[in-house]
Amino acid sequence: MKKRSIMLAVLLTLVVAVIGAMPTLTTAQEAVTLVVWDNWTRDVEVAMMEQLNAEFEEAHPGVTIVKEAYVVDDLNALLPLALSEASGPDVAQVNQGYTAMGPMVGAGLLLPLNEYADQYGWWDRYAMSLHKRNSFAEDGSQIAVGNLYGVSNAAEIVGVYYHRDIFEEHGLSIPQTLAEFEEILATLKAAGVTPIVFGSLDGWPAIHEYGAIQHAYTDIDTLDAFMYRLEGGTFINDANLKAAEKLVEWVKAGYFSPGFEGMDYDNATASAFINKEGAMWITGSWMAGSLIEALGEDTVGFFVFPPAEADAAPLSIGGVNLAYGIRATTEHPDLAAEYVDWITGPRAAEVLLENGFLPASAVDATALPAGTLNTDVVLGWMTISEANAVGHYLDWTVPNIAGYIQELMAERVTPQEFLDKVEQEYLAG
Amino acid sequence: MIARVRGTLSGGGKTPYDRPLLAYLFILPGFAIYALFVLVPIAGTVRYSFYQWTGFSAPTFIGLDNYRALLKDDFFINALGNNIYFILFYTVLPILLGLFLTSLLARSRLRGMAIFRVGLFLPQVLSPVVVGIIWRWIFAYDGPINEFLTVIGLDGWVRPWLGDFEWAPRAAGAVGTWVEYGLCLVLFIAGVQAIEEDLYDAAQVDGASAIQQFRHVTLPGLRQQILVAFVVTFIAALRVFGMVFVLTRGGPGQETQVVSMLIYDQAFRFRQAGYSTAMAVVLSVIIVGVSALTLYGQGRREEDA
Repeated sequence: MKKRSIMLAVLLTLVVAVIGAMPTLTTAQEAVTLVVWDNWTRDVEVAMMEQLNAEFEEAHPGVTIVKEAYVVDDLNALLPLALSEASGPDVAQVNQGYTAMGPMVGAGLLLPLNEYADQYGWWDRYAMSLHKRNSFAEDGSQIAVGNLYGVSNAAEIVGVYYHRDIFEEHGLSIPQTLAEFEEILATLKAAGVTPIVFGSLDGWPAIHEYGAIQHAYTDIDTLDAFMYRLEGGTFINDANLKAAEKLVEWVKAGYFSPGFEGMDYDNATASAFINKEGAMWITGSWMAGSLIEALGEDTVGFFVFPPAEADAAPLSIGGVNLAYGIRATTEHPDLAAEYVDWITGPRAAEVLLENGFLPASAVDATALPAGTLNTDVVLGWMTISEANAVGHYLDWTVPNIAGYIQELMAERVTPQEFLDKVEQEYLAG
Repeated sequence: MIARVRGTLSGGGKTPYDRPLLAYLFILPGFAIYALFVLVPIAGTVRYSFYQWTGFSAPTFIGLDNYRALLKDDFFINALGNNIYFILFYTVLPILLGLFLTSLLARSRLRGMAIFRVGLFLPQVLSPVVVGIIWRWIFAYDGPINEFLTVIGLDGWVRPWLGDFEWAPRAAGAVGTWVEYGLCLVLFIAGVQAIEEDLYDAAQVDGASAIQQFRHVTLPGLRQQILVAFVVTFIAALRVFGMVFVLTRGGPGQETQVVSMLIYDQAFRFRQAGYSTAMAVVLSVIIVGVSALTLYGQGRREEDA
């Protein structure tokens, strides 16, 4: 049944695509159709975006937005071809990185957005380090330099979820430094509470565990150089070594769930946290919705993983969604830019927030209800975005890093050997 | 050409072997479909293995570079080693277990054998993903195995089976044994029932023990079935994908990584479709080679006999 409805959806999309590709018969009128390919595919997401599109159409008589939704894999596969055609989407969400945005920029398929960014003030929407992710050298060979080719509207951050009542019971408060965080770990452990709920069976969650500590020690420039393969980019440094040592120390101290090596993310780890089998969970903002559904708005809190030094910026793993870019050959570049401004702007942020999504741009913090998980997550994001301290998922540059972290946590390799292994794959990549 | 076909059609009274052209004509539709959906893609795969290709850009011919890179690829060599290790669990153990159970079951006429057969065969029919999910639950840290060990007082044996560097390959392998032994058993029991009853009677008259009967009557009688079981389970061991993907994702580290998962990653995650097809070609050559050698060897032995 489900398969059938998917098939139907695919068919419908195809039909829409074919119809959209045919020369419109109504060109005699002044009507303008703006075709938008986006990544908002689920029901609630589609409703949200259609509401925003309707508001845009209302403000622009004669303009029709045709929204076509694709999952990331489909966008990656179809967009390069679609953007090279005159009938392709005017605005499209483009995946970041060397396998998607890079080649498209290199082929001249995307419009450089710097002038529009100046005009509309996009630079101030969020951290400069995030604009870098949507920037490429004109030949598509180097990310994080050159022109801006996209703007994002949603974000995610990896931080620490905690049970408020467990913190209260043990007289704990939100840590401002890594040292304070470790005091909490020790206190909880001594009281017989598992400090951090964690499972590494799926591999990738281990990236958050190591990444959180690594981000606490390192700084954004060193990290960017490594991630973007800029000159001098390397994994071999003191911060990364200290983080590896610290992670092993925590494993030995029993700060993670017993048997974490055999726990998966979706079932074992999530239910362990929901059932209060541990006090904290280091994971992404994408879990906030599920946790609110399971435990309510105000029983769980969220804070940004604290930095090693008290006065340092709280660098944290995070990112933005696929960026809205404009087809280089569109007939309506100004209108497309206006749409990008709208769909990534303050009103869109408001609607995203209402629907439980984390907007990339800042929102009015005073309007947020106090003491809820959503508010904690939004404030956490705004803290790191304003401080230009949005970090990275390390597997983006070293795809097999999760396996190396598993080896590190099982003490199959020493922290130094771990660094060497990562560096070896980095240099080979 | 057409006239000749017509000629043979009106021939009448001949066996199909006398009319090869007509036979080919009947094979043609099936062959066309087979060629279109199997042979052409295989040829394409082989061709792309000589190219540097992202999967959508224009491919660049690089000769044997992909294959040279494979020889130096530690991930590939490690994964191939794991596949070979899995042969122990997918092929050797199921055949031994199947033979052992056959020796226990076959001579006695068991009531409800049909039901047992269905039950034993079930793992073969289940989707690998379903098998993976079931066993992931069984092996879970708070799952039935660990609970059982705790109940009987063997707390020291409790471990995160699928996340343990030492035990994950064995645990993932054991699931393979569970999937394949039923197939072997069903094959062998069917084979035993085809062995002449007289042979056993004669052996008994000669004073052969149960073990001797098994060794000298059952085993030779099952040669065909063992061969089939070997080829089928050997192929399963080398091309395993879904079950390992669900059970461990190849982890911890690279301990349960298999070649077919690398093929998937290279093609769809890292956009190295050319390199990925080179891996696929090597894996296919190994599978086809060993299977062909085994069957060819058997054919020779039968000619000799």
